[in-house]
Amino acid sequence: MRKKVLAMLLTAAMSVTMLSACGGGREGSSTSDSSDASTEETADAGEDSGDAAEETSSEGFEADATIGIALPWLGTQNWAEAQDMFKEQLEAEGFSAIVQAADQKVATQQQQIESMIENGAKVIVVGPVDGSQLGTVLEKAKDAGVYVLGYDRLIENTTGVDGVVQFGSVKTGELQGQALLDGLKEKKGDGPYNIELFGGGPADPNAPNFFTGAMSVLQPEIDAGNLVVVSGQTDFTQCATEDWDNKKAQQRMDSLLSGNYSDKEIDGVLSPNDGIARAILTACEDAGQPVPVVTGLDAEDESVKLVWEGTQYCTVAKPTKDLVAKTVEIIKSLQAGDGMPPTDVTANNGKVDVAIYELDPTVVTQENAKEVFADDEARMELLQ
Amino acid sequence: MGSSPFILQMKGITKEFPGVRALDNVTLEVHTDSIHAICGENGAGKSTLMKVLSGVYPYGTYEGQIFFMGEEMRFRNIKESEHAGIAIIHQELTMIPELSITENIFMGNEITKNGLIDWDTQKQKTVEILKKVGLNISPDTLIKHMGVGQQQLVEIAKALSKNVKLLILDEPTSALNEDDSENLLQLMLGLKKNGITCIMISHKLNEIAEVSDAVTVIRDGQTVESYEVEAGHVDEDKIIRSMVGRSIENRYPEHESHPGDIIFEVKDWCVEDPEVPGRLVCKNSSFNVRAGEIVGFAGLMGAGRTELMRSLFGRNYGIYKSGTITIKGKTVELHSVEDAIENGIAYVPEDRKNLGLNLLDSIRKTIVSADLKKILTGWLLDADKELAAAEEYRKALRIKTSSVDVGVTTLSGGNQQKVVLSKWMFTEPDVLILDEPTRGIDVGAKYEIYKLIHELAEQGKAVIMVSSELPELLGVVDRIYTIFEGTITGELPASEADQESLMKRMTVTSQS
Amino acid sequence: MKQIKQVLGGDLRQYTMVLALAVLIIFFNVISDGRMLTSSNFQNLLSGNAYVLILALGMLMVIVIGQIDLSVGSVAGFSAMAMCILAQKYELPWFIGVLIAIAIGLAIGAWHGFFLAKLGIPGFITTLGGMLMFRGGVIWISKSISVPAPEELRFFGSGYLPEWGPTFTGMNNSTLLLGIIAIVWYIYTELKRYKSEASIGGDSATPLWAVVTRVVLVSLLLAYFTWLFGSGREGTSFPVPGLILLILIFIYHTITQKTTFGRHVYAVGGNKNAAALSGVNVSRTYFLTMMNMSLLSAIAGVLFVGRSTAAGPADGTSWEMDAIASVFIGGAAVSGGVGTILATVVGGLVMAVLNNGLMLMGVGADKTQVIKGLVLLAAVAVDVYNKNSGRSSIIGKLFPSKESTEKKEG
Repeated sequence: MRKKVLAMLLTAAMSVTMLSACGGGREGSSTSDSSDASTEETADAGEDSGDAAEETSSEGFEADATIGIALPWLGTQNWAEAQDMFKEQLEAEGFSAIVQAADQKVATQQQQIESMIENGAKVIVVGPVDGSQLGTVLEKAKDAGVYVLGYDRLIENTTGVDGVVQFGSVKTGELQGQALLDGLKEKKGDGPYNIELFGGGPADPNAPNFFTGAMSVLQPEIDAGNLVVVSGQTDFTQCATEDWDNKKAQQRMDSLLSGNYSDKEIDGVLSPNDGIARAILTACEDAGQPVPVVTGLDAEDESVKLVWEGTQYCTVAKPTKDLVAKTVEIIKSLQAGDGMPPTDVTANNGKVDVAIYELDPTVVTQENAKEVFADDEARMELLQ
Repeated sequence: MGSSPFILQMKGITKEFPGVRALDNVTLEVHTDSIHAICGENGAGKSTLMKVLSGVYPYGTYEGQIFFMGEEMRFRNIKESEHAGIAIIHQELTMIPELSITENIFMGNEITKNGLIDWDTQKQKTVEILKKVGLNISPDTLIKHMGVGQQQLVEIAKALSKNVKLLILDEPTSALNEDDSENLLQLMLGLKKNGITCIMISHKLNEIAEVSDAVTVIRDGQTVESYEVEAGHVDEDKIIRSMVGRSIENRYPEHESHPGDIIFEVKDWCVEDPEVPGRLVCKNSSFNVRAGEIVGFAGLMGAGRTELMRSLFGRNYGIYKSGTITIKGKTVELHSVEDAIENGIAYVPEDRKNLGLNLLDSIRKTIVSADLKKILTGWLLDADKELAAAEEYRKALRIKTSSVDVGVTTLSGGNQQKVVLSKWMFTEPDVLILDEPTRGIDVGAKYEIYKLIHELAEQGKAVIMVSSELPELLGVVDRIYTIFEGTITGELPASEADQESLMKRMTVTSQS
Repeated sequence: MKQIKQVLGGDLRQYTMVLALAVLIIFFNVISDGRMLTSSNFQNLLSGNAYVLILALGMLMVIVIGQIDLSVGSVAGFSAMAMCILAQKYELPWFIGVLIAIAIGLAIGAWHGFFLAKLGIPGFITTLGGMLMFRGGVIWISKSISVPAPEELRFFGSGYLPEWGPTFTGMNNSTLLLGIIAIVWYIYTELKRYKSEASIGGDSATPLWAVVTRVVLVSLLLAYFTWLFGSGREGTSFPVPGLILLILIFIYHTITQKTTFGRHVYAVGGNKNAAALSGVNVSRTYFLTMMNMSLLSAIAGVLFVGRSTAAGPADGTSWEMDAIASVFIGGAAVSGGVGTILATVVGGLVMAVLNNGLMLMGVGADKTQVIKGLVLLAAVAVDVYNKNSGRSSIIGKLFPSKESTEKKEG
């Protein structure tokens, strides 16, 4: 009986919604919120302006507007930090922030971005799961007059992006390569040194750049015979770690060691980030190898500790703080109606040239750790 | 232990199920160190009696007393009866094929040392026990690698490992070939010498005659007769008379048959058991059916009746070896059920729930399911045609239901069977094979089914009816073939047949 | 109460999931200040979930025959990736690319079908193998790098129907036309059914007034959704992937309910042995069902890359789970034999609306997953509870040719 009553109520509710909804015409119906109306205007404005970032309309928007932050996942420390910092800083600036992570699923991220548009976001910051698979939704955002900023990774294959904030990825790679060389000289005496190379997730457009940057330093040394890649695997595709997955890196390292190092010692490993660095260290330990010189990236707590203890040779800090600060700065400029800040660097993403806002990373070793983290309380605590 | 000559006395056992009295004051007395045979038709109550004895039906759910080795027993479960020294070897073997002999024998009774299984002792004991049953193979052999006969022996060995005093064998030779059967009988004689009493339930009177010391016949849940015999000198006819016993009442509709030409003929049909290579389940079977004739197949369970019919129905069972089928003068090769249906054969299986019906379907969907082409309009199934067909059969067969849209599980057994019959009548077959069409159906519904069968014959269809109820066959059909162990052992016009003459051919006595 | 029952045309319990869907939509609409029931949101909802629903259509049939296909995500990813790579490398026109993807889907389906139908290897194992093989295959052929899809596919993955005709309608005229067709078709089938019911099963026929009320209510609902989809921003309409989905739903509903093959699918799932004894070619049914599943996987993959503008190496990861969840929320039985296309679509929409609503509320993907898991369990638990207590299966029997069959699991 109760079910039937419920059913009646529902039927009634549905018909009321329907009737009330039917009152409106094509534009600005009674059920849709105010964002729809403003959407129309800005979309028209968007059509007039060109593609390049600097030219986008510079009317600005309300100081308490909604800002959407779409992150790929929360599986590594830097993304988790980004989530907290964005929420904190944007709300401190008076914006209302929607921060969502997509659990590494492209479809989920697409739907999250769409729901941010629905929620009337004025700027959407996207740390993409796969930088080339968001074309449709980002263009939809652009049509709706929303500014789209790429965060940490380049966004490819679409016209719907206004700028990208990231650490110089080639530069990062160069730093990693140089650090590996320095570390080998410092820790392993004279060469030639036996090394192995690891790359990041191939779906992340930064990963090949890291690798290219590192190889620009390492390749001359390999050619000169000072470095020996024992496995012979020097192509990015051979060295890549799918999805930046530590587990897969460890499996690869295990097989490299068992296949090539039964009678040799490994001296150094180029690792694209800290998680993979730790996986490599674990694999070496399991195989009974002496601790090799291993690079890293992201300055995760766990690895900062290892660097401080001398196990992991170095990491490269790309302070999330800096990246978030730069992003928020751009958002504020957009809010004020000043448009995208000027920049010299652009990158072609396959469709258009995108403005790039590059930050410089810092190499962290046992020696300089205390300096680098001087004003980072949480990390200083790790260095005890 | 008293001085009683009986190892087992079951007195006044009565067991009722809702609406049925399965056992009615049954008495069974078994002498120590003897082989005691129990005979009876299917459903006479033999298995129920053994379940009472072994504790499957615990004390309190039946009336009567059980004395075993002089003491009254009140078993609450199988474990207790096993503990007392009673073991049953079931018709279906209950061992785990993927495990070894040792593991199976000690399943649930593992010998442990410090909490771990003591494999050495177990294997040693297994070898000893296997010797007792005349098996000389490694105790590590997996059950699945053994023949059925050997498996049977392992099953017995398992019982022996539990210090059994009374061994019950339920149709032990039904799945065995002749050599294995003979082996088993010899083993029973050997066990008798070693102080183990056996109860054997069997349809094979020749085997009973060969080894039994005493025979008890059960019919309709009552002990009919029980007497001692001398092995090798058993009056098999006497047993048959006791088994059949009752007269045929007027439970069958009047029917006058008008057989026409032979429209269905099978010659030299041989089929191999798909699970036991080399064992033929149909041996050179030849028979024919005329248009408008009802032909009965009499045979006990496991005689190969169902196997024969299913192998004819598009080779649905077994491995075809040789033989021909002729329908309306044309020799046909039926490779699939589809072929069989297209050539006008219909088969109503014995196991209605597992083979006859999709229990998830509604009545209307079931009725049209064997010939969907008839309800097609263009490419699509026509709901109107389907409904019309379903309604037609509901009315014609008087299927008792509120609507043809309801599921078949809502129907009684009799009405379910009518739905299955409708399904096959809908294919408009020339030859209709009915395998135990009245099993599990009450008397009233049976009468309706018989009438339906007569109507089908009057329409000129060739009807084959398989049944283990002899009175039913005698009352309904025109001509009867008897079948035993895959061989057609006789052919009689129904008017000349009686139960004794049929039973004799169905059990194959040593005189034949 | 009896009147309402007659209007709904059968057992109210059959409508549990539809009611749940309605409740969800209204609930989210209220809680998100009306952002759920907007043109753009519903357009997104359809474009963003069409691929999962398409997979669910095939999965329903696979589950009905008592099997499962774990490979659908990998097959979707693989065929779409192969299409993109070939189209890019040889500069093929987009339709050749789509044909290639479909051919790959069919070939993979035949492969799975062969192992299941001819060798008797359970679908779970066959497709687990396929899942690994084709997941590896995607990464292998793509070298783990995303490949842009042919531009034209964006029309299929996220496009809108064209604008034409007069503007006084206040909405997209293609959508309007679609809505009118839907309403007319609905009225036609209802009246036809009423007629045939009246002529044959006279005693159980629904009264005319109830049919009329039902027709009016459903037509209003259809009109509302027509308006909702059609009245969005200029240039938007009922989305193209949604239209493709609708066509596929229509085709597969017809196949499962109205063709010999469809009957065979249910027969094999309900009782394989009985089906074989009724002349059903069981192995052929297995084969075709598996082949069809991979075909639909390829179509889903193409739509997805159309929307994503590129095929990625991780495309399709765990899509099979979404498809399987939709089927079970739609009331299908794990043991096979039970389930309908329409109920599956409702099940899939429940998942989609839940996803969409939670995102509108700003709930993260982590918590969304927890909630989806709970909903799956709850839906199936309610279904099982209803079956065990002897009542008719609610959802499984959602409007299958209007029966109130009391099915129980065998």
